[in-house]
Amino acid sequence: MTNFTRRNMLTGAVGATAAVATAVNFTTPVSADEADDDLASFVKMSSALTGIDEARLAPAVDPIQIKREYLAAAKADQSFDRLMEVFQANQSQPPAMIADMILNQSGPDICYLGRSIILAWYLGAWYDPDNLKEHNSPNPPPRPVTPDKIISPAAYTQGWAWRVAQAHPMGYSELRFGYWSKEPPSLNDFTK
Amino acid sequence: MRDRGSLSVEVMVVLGLVALIVWSTSSFAQQTPGSRPNPPRDINPPVTSCNVTADTIADKSGNLIPNPIKETPLTLGQPCQQVVNGRGLVKDNILANRQRGFDFYSWLTFIALNSPADGKTIGQGPRPGGDALTKWEDLTNYRPLADVMLPKGSKPTWGTRIVPPQCRRLDGPNKIVFKLGEEAFNQPFKSGPLIDQDGNYALFDILMNRPMFDFILKNGLYNKPGQEKFNGKIEFPSGNNPGDDPNAEPGRMGAIMVKVSWRILDPDKDKGLLHQFHTADALIYFPGPPATKTGPLCVEKKLGLIGFHVAHKTKFAPQWVWTSFEHVSNVPDQADVDSGELLPRYNFYNPACKGCAVNQTPPTPWDPDASLKFHSGYRSQVTRVHMLPEPVIDEVKKLNDQFRAFLKDTVWENYILLTTQWPSDFASKTDPTGAPAPTYLANTTLETYSQGRTPLASSSCMACHNNATTQHVPATSSDFTFILEKAH
Repeated sequence: MTNFTRRNMLTGAVGATAAVATAVNFTTPVSADEADDDLASFVKMSSALTGIDEARLAPAVDPIQIKREYLAAAKADQSFDRLMEVFQANQSQPPAMIADMILNQSGPDICYLGRSIILAWYLGAWYDPDNLKEHNSPNPPPRPVTPDKIISPAAYTQGWAWRVAQAHPMGYSELRFGYWSKEPPSLNDFTK
Repeated sequence: MRDRGSLSVEVMVVLGLVALIVWSTSSFAQQTPGSRPNPPRDINPPVTSCNVTADTIADKSGNLIPNPIKETPLTLGQPCQQVVNGRGLVKDNILANRQRGFDFYSWLTFIALNSPADGKTIGQGPRPGGDALTKWEDLTNYRPLADVMLPKGSKPTWGTRIVPPQCRRLDGPNKIVFKLGEEAFNQPFKSGPLIDQDGNYALFDILMNRPMFDFILKNGLYNKPGQEKFNGKIEFPSGNNPGDDPNAEPGRMGAIMVKVSWRILDPDKDKGLLHQFHTADALIYFPGPPATKTGPLCVEKKLGLIGFHVAHKTKFAPQWVWTSFEHVSNVPDQADVDSGELLPRYNFYNPACKGCAVNQTPPTPWDPDASLKFHSGYRSQVTRVHMLPEPVIDEVKKLNDQFRAFLKDTVWENYILLTTQWPSDFASKTDPTGAPAPTYLANTTLETYSQGRTPLASSSCMACHNNATTQHVPATSSDFTFILEKAH
């Protein structure tokens, strides 16, 4: 399996393999089928967890479809169905309350999966919920928290941490030549 | 008899009167109230024949159905702008419906530009397969980049044919003049040449339409000093369709760049292939060092069209709309290779070469001599890398099948649309590339070595051209075109 490290990303060394590995995320058109109900709920829940508007996380016209990659990563966790049940039961609540239910009131498995989803959106990397749990224990391992993987080449470019910082990931920017000599776009332009 | 002196006086008086009348007439023309000086030429003039055909039409129930692929309205003219709609054949999928609209636009553009220069319908030219000199090869419509960015920064002139002295003895009707520079045989960012199965270099050329040319001319951007002097923002004119209201803005074509790739065909050895290609009889000019290893000299070659790019700046697409076509027998998809479903021959792939590494750059040196043959027995072994989303691949294949059926029994049935890249968020304040859809797009003859899905490294028309600059110091954005970098 391809290992998406930042170094590999920057050198483009995983390009061709990456294309194959991520192909699954590009294959499904948006339609009103059952899978898309999952997707729509996942995006709403992600908005509550990240504090970023749904329309920014998943634009109506979205050629990148990063949401599908994050959904696939989250679905691989055994607690995903229970997490979605918690969300479904609380989806009419204000976003802050939904986040509180997931992160503080539904048990550690749901909490740490919720945290992994937040980290995926902000960092484009997948952190194993068990790993996060272990590092938040009274006796955490001496090593720093590291991600399991960079979810994909696209995810590397899509991390919200960069936008919140009005910046861009190392080695990749959509801004034009000479942007470094100018003020970046405003925070609202990036996030609202 | 009059004396000589009085005659001289009379002549002088007459000459003086004539001079006065001429001067008066001239002054009258320039200064009489009510008479205006000629207005400056509109660099993006109104166009009366914008093809505004959409990819869908409403049936009797108001449901959208595919617009039939038939001669009218497909051959009515060139689109001045895309006609796209979020509603369409795919329920609740704005992205897919707009993509189909853009791909339909691309086919209309292909048909318009590849129609005979004499005004006939595509495929009705005098050559085998209905081929003909096309509109984009006609100097009244498009001008090669080499004839815009002239040596020593000279001012270019629209419509003039520049035939180097070395080519004149070979010249004849309908021959195109192709001036080689490194970018004519080496791919973008000097990533390498492409060598066909006969060992010939593939050749690349860039042309522009008149609105683009006139913008360059008007602003003095055809040479380095002109670009240094220019302190405005480079904004090429945009195309737009006419409004429905009779008093609305007329249609305008806007700036268009065409980039083509050719393979060399041997008139005898490849006789059986000629009917499969749009061909051109080209006078290929080697200007000599540093542009080419050899020269100045000129050779004549028959060229077959293998790749066709159009970039069109339009309303709602300030990042331009990027269309990419290829010859159907250029290369197989990697999936075709894996499944063994291969054509007997390709332009840039040898089915018999089992285990050959694919998509590798040829060994250096990359500097063709006058034969345009590669220096060794190396042949490019190219496959098309899977980079488009599956729904786009499926949609384009269906559209290609329909348009190719429409073009059946002409040379043009041998060309396929790869897809169209367009800005999904053209007004983004944080992404000047406008969130390209699809994210990646590469033509196997023009971006052979940068196919893939790796951010920044893989080919994306808009992401790449977003980095284009002028030669102004400090460099300024050149509005998605690298052509200004070619000025001397």
